[in-house]
Amino acid sequence: MPMEDRRSAAGRLLDNACELACAAGLLTMMALTVSEVFSRTVFHYSLQASDEIGGYLLVAITFLAMPVAHSFGTFHHVEFVQARLSRRGKLLSKVIFDLIALAGCMVLDWQLIRFEISSFRSEDVAATLLRTPLWIPQFMMPLGATILCLALLRTICSRSRQLIAGEDR
Amino acid sequence: MGSGLEITLVFVIFLGLLALGMSVPFAITLPGILYLYMHGGLPAFRGLGLVTWGSMNRFTLTAVPLFILMAEIMQQSGLSSRIYRGLAKIVSRVPGGLLQTNIVGCAVFAATTGSSVATAASIGSVALPQLIERKYDRKLSAGSLAAGGTLGILFPPSLAMIIYGSFTDTSVPRLFMAGVIPGLMLTAMFMIYIGIHAKLKPEVAPVILERLGMSDIFRAMTDVLPFLVLISGTMGGMYAGVITPTEAGAIGCLVGIVISRIWGDLTWKLLFVAIRRTVRILGNILFIIYSAYLFSYAISYAGVGEEVTSFLTGLKLSRFEFFIALFLLFTVLGCLIESLGMLVLTVPLLYPVLGQYGIDPIWFGIIVVLFIELGQISPPIGINLFVIQSIWDGKLKEVVIGTIPFHLIMFLLLFLLMIFPELALWLPSHMTAAP
Repeated sequence: MPMEDRRSAAGRLLDNACELACAAGLLTMMALTVSEVFSRTVFHYSLQASDEIGGYLLVAITFLAMPVAHSFGTFHHVEFVQARLSRRGKLLSKVIFDLIALAGCMVLDWQLIRFEISSFRSEDVAATLLRTPLWIPQFMMPLGATILCLALLRTICSRSRQLIAGEDR
Repeated sequence: MGSGLEITLVFVIFLGLLALGMSVPFAITLPGILYLYMHGGLPAFRGLGLVTWGSMNRFTLTAVPLFILMAEIMQQSGLSSRIYRGLAKIVSRVPGGLLQTNIVGCAVFAATTGSSVATAASIGSVALPQLIERKYDRKLSAGSLAAGGTLGILFPPSLAMIIYGSFTDTSVPRLFMAGVIPGLMLTAMFMIYIGIHAKLKPEVAPVILERLGMSDIFRAMTDVLPFLVLISGTMGGMYAGVITPTEAGAIGCLVGIVISRIWGDLTWKLLFVAIRRTVRILGNILFIIYSAYLFSYAISYAGVGEEVTSFLTGLKLSRFEFFIALFLLFTVLGCLIESLGMLVLTVPLLYPVLGQYGIDPIWFGIIVVLFIELGQISPPIGINLFVIQSIWDGKLKEVVIGTIPFHLIMFLLLFLLMIFPELALWLPSHMTAAP
């Protein structure tokens, strides 16, 4: 059964929310950039903020799209060893990979949370016209990393259950 | 443990994880984190937050999601079948028939998508059923589509070039323009090969000559017109220095939606599908880019970058020998590492050496992109091979055999670019600077 179908209701909700947020970010990025070109070409006036906001949106999309890509299995991977494994071997290897990936993501998440707290405490603002408090766009990084950890945990649990129940045979 | 041994160990772990089937972004991230820990323990992780923010908060990279969205809109709207139909009529009298349409169709579609996979999948799904029905040679059909698809990252807007530009702070519009002449040359070389092959062995491409009236030609032109509008709207603006690549991507999305609505079958539902697919693709691509920045950080933290630079400089290779070394490195890596991974892992290490050898970073970008193209049709992991195999009933072996002549043609172009760098550098030297 594809990973997509095995998601719990909470998992689906989280994935949908991330996907929706990314879609909104993508459309906002497009609208903002087109407005900048239009305003510059027609009124000879630059909005000055499209570069800055575009960068923030990219960060948000990067981190919120990661758990979506994991849940829907769109990460690239090389198949030539996997193709030679039994179904059980495949499932077992995926659980091991997810466990290792989870350890790495937890390290990243920990550091991103530390960075966010430090940014909030030091009241860092962008050196731009908007003077955006940086903790706001930076918040998307630990948020996305945490959701990715949860998504990995979910797939580990789901695949382990399949292994224990012998569904792989 | 010596630093040489450490970096070797880290690369072995990376290749091992990759070969065993771990997802590419994790396979890059984890050795990077391990390497940081080996060098500085837990305190070495402290820079990760700042590196993450600094690497992903980049305006240059915002072009990536927009061009992917544009490609998805074009793919979902079914415009690829229109362009194929139009081009099939226009190039029907050229020896090779529909095989030539594959190459021209891929080149034109590539110029609107920037993605090899999108190009191969879009044109392949339209072309393969017709090629099989008309009894074209199966290997050559599959090979021409897999190889033609790779044109997607040589013609602007190339995702690989945007990523190369963001890693090296090289002008993306200039990189885009540098890809035009090699892209046109590669298209022409593929077509010449197919033409000669079809002349020598007519059975590979059965000729069905139709009488074309003016109305047929007009209809064929209107099939190709939307793409010309899109290409001239985005690339023309960049060449004139009026818009940046990100702006070209945003305008491309907007124009893409309009022409897909008028000429294609784009509905709100399909637009929503395109956006959802884009988000899922982005999760993979942006994570690979991010993981590569983490890996580069780990390498620079350990000071390996300087060691690699001094090692390569110490070899005192001539430019030609350096090129041959690159050739060997990328040919081997192309068989082991997925294309984007190859780009993001090698460029930060090799880029500092370029100055020592007097190599132009724009020229190097085109060379790297060509090597990536080769990797995309190199077994066992060439992604275009799998794309084509997944949309027909043939075997992977047939696709692989079919791409061999196209490999050789790409090698030929690489050597031509080595001997005549102006082929890549002439056009960028004549363009107006971007805003």
